[in-house]
Amino acid sequence: MNNNNNEVKENTTVDDLLDFDDDDPLGATAVSKKSLVIFFLIDTSGSMKGKKMGQLNTVMEELIPEIRRVGEADTDVKVAVLTFDTDVKWMYSAPISIEEFEWARLGAQGVTSMGAAFTELAARMSRNSFLNSPSLSFAPVMFLMTDGYPSDDYKAGLKALQANSWYKFGLKAALGIGDEANDDMLEEFTGSKDTVVHAYTGGQLAAMIKIIAVTASQIGSKSMTLSDETNEELSDEDVYAAKQKMLGQQIQELVGDQTDAGDVPYDTGW
Amino acid sequence: MSFNGFSHSVMGASHVAKGIVCQDSSAHKITDRYAIAVVADGHGSKKHFRSNIGSQCAVEATIETIDRFYEDPDAFEENLPKNHKMIIRNIERQIIAAWNTKVMKHLEENPVTAVEKKPFTQEEFEAINPESYYGTTLIAAVAGRGFTFGVQIGDGSFVAIFEDGEAVMPMEYEEANPANITSSMCNANAASMFESFYIDDKRPIALFSSTDGLYTSFGSEYDFRDYHVILASQVNSPSLEASVVKNITKRSHFGTEDDISLACVYDVEFAQEKVDLLKEMIERNKKLAAERKARLHTANF
Repeated sequence: MNNNNNEVKENTTVDDLLDFDDDDPLGATAVSKKSLVIFFLIDTSGSMKGKKMGQLNTVMEELIPEIRRVGEADTDVKVAVLTFDTDVKWMYSAPISIEEFEWARLGAQGVTSMGAAFTELAARMSRNSFLNSPSLSFAPVMFLMTDGYPSDDYKAGLKALQANSWYKFGLKAALGIGDEANDDMLEEFTGSKDTVVHAYTGGQLAAMIKIIAVTASQIGSKSMTLSDETNEELSDEDVYAAKQKMLGQQIQELVGDQTDAGDVPYDTGW
Repeated sequence: MSFNGFSHSVMGASHVAKGIVCQDSSAHKITDRYAIAVVADGHGSKKHFRSNIGSQCAVEATIETIDRFYEDPDAFEENLPKNHKMIIRNIERQIIAAWNTKVMKHLEENPVTAVEKKPFTQEEFEAINPESYYGTTLIAAVAGRGFTFGVQIGDGSFVAIFEDGEAVMPMEYEEANPANITSSMCNANAASMFESFYIDDKRPIALFSSTDGLYTSFGSEYDFRDYHVILASQVNSPSLEASVVKNITKRSHFGTEDDISLACVYDVEFAQEKVDLLKEMIERNKKLAAERKARLHTANF
């Protein structure tokens, strides 16, 4: 009978056990760190065409190494990108580890099928689909970016999403780009005002995407089982409510620190 | 039929760091009629403050129960294939009863101490069922003459490598969804929460039971299955056990930092006979993994 029967034997250190041995067939099998999936839902409708989409592509390319640093310690951050215009498409056929992720530059055309995107996300956020990795340890992060109002029935899609338990427990944030983005609708997606921000200029767009993506990845991959105040164990519901609240507070603090002197507003300069 | 086996539990890296004891237990038993591999994962959270004892009681209760059912081996081997559903259900009930007896005896001999009560208010403490102090999962695999069966309660995995060299998981992995509550030996309706399987048309090369710390150290279920084919190809190697301990220690350290237990029973001659097939399967699995990776990295734009 074994109960922790493999105490490190005399003269054997943990480092010896952790050495990689190429001759050991088991040694060649990969070990996965705890993982987190971050979903980017990106509006690629016609109104995003031109500088908005160009800038978004550049920011996302710059963002990848920054998110990589978040996961370096003990979390494997995986990325899944869902674009929505007239059609809804995934950039890759499954979430990809940030270490191996390469941004594929996006174009823009057509109308804004956001409701269809919500429905697609709801279908994929399942243990039988995109969240099937055994090493998945955290509820996902969902980050919506749009510059306009949905052209389809987004409420039907949102209803499907709201019935998904990963959505309920996941971290949600949204970025409205330019004047046309509707804050109320974005708030319906995130469930709170604090996790909705706006970018009216190219400089703000870059800053906001980085703030939200990096902050959400950091908070999303935090292990929180005890309350700081009471040292009591938290239920899963409490952990995710605490994380969503923390995300809102940190986003608002970081957004408040941003200055955009000299930046050209989208709706005049684009 | 000549079986052999091994079982190991390693302490989770996060438990080492926090000074918590290992909550996992594992065991195997080989006789001339059957072989059993069993693991249990004590829940380890606040109200399950004796789950390390609970997991030990679970593996002991399981082996003792199977032994009892095999008291008349000829009768058991004759009856099980004819009436496996009812008999396995009965085994599950007997395991729960034996576990309950063990943990209640432990409690009687070791009343809850003031230190154990300290984290709770009197009201909170009174609301906890005594069985919950010992809460644990259980996964057991049995290879007999002409049949293979298993029982499981709570998360963890069972993998079998049969004569075709494929790694199969006959019991569904319990989804660790954030909203899910793990089934446990300490639940009031535990007997109804068991999952089981019975197979009598395939000869097993090796059977593996593991706690969920092993499963969660893999990036995909394919990798997890492929790992067991590698293990099955090595069972007759004298260095395997040292390699297993080293590997599961590494998996806990770099993976989910959880305790990991792995128990295995294998057919010594059949594993030797099938070693070339298993090596072919390993090469095939490597190719399939490379193809999956290439497909995944092709952008849709």
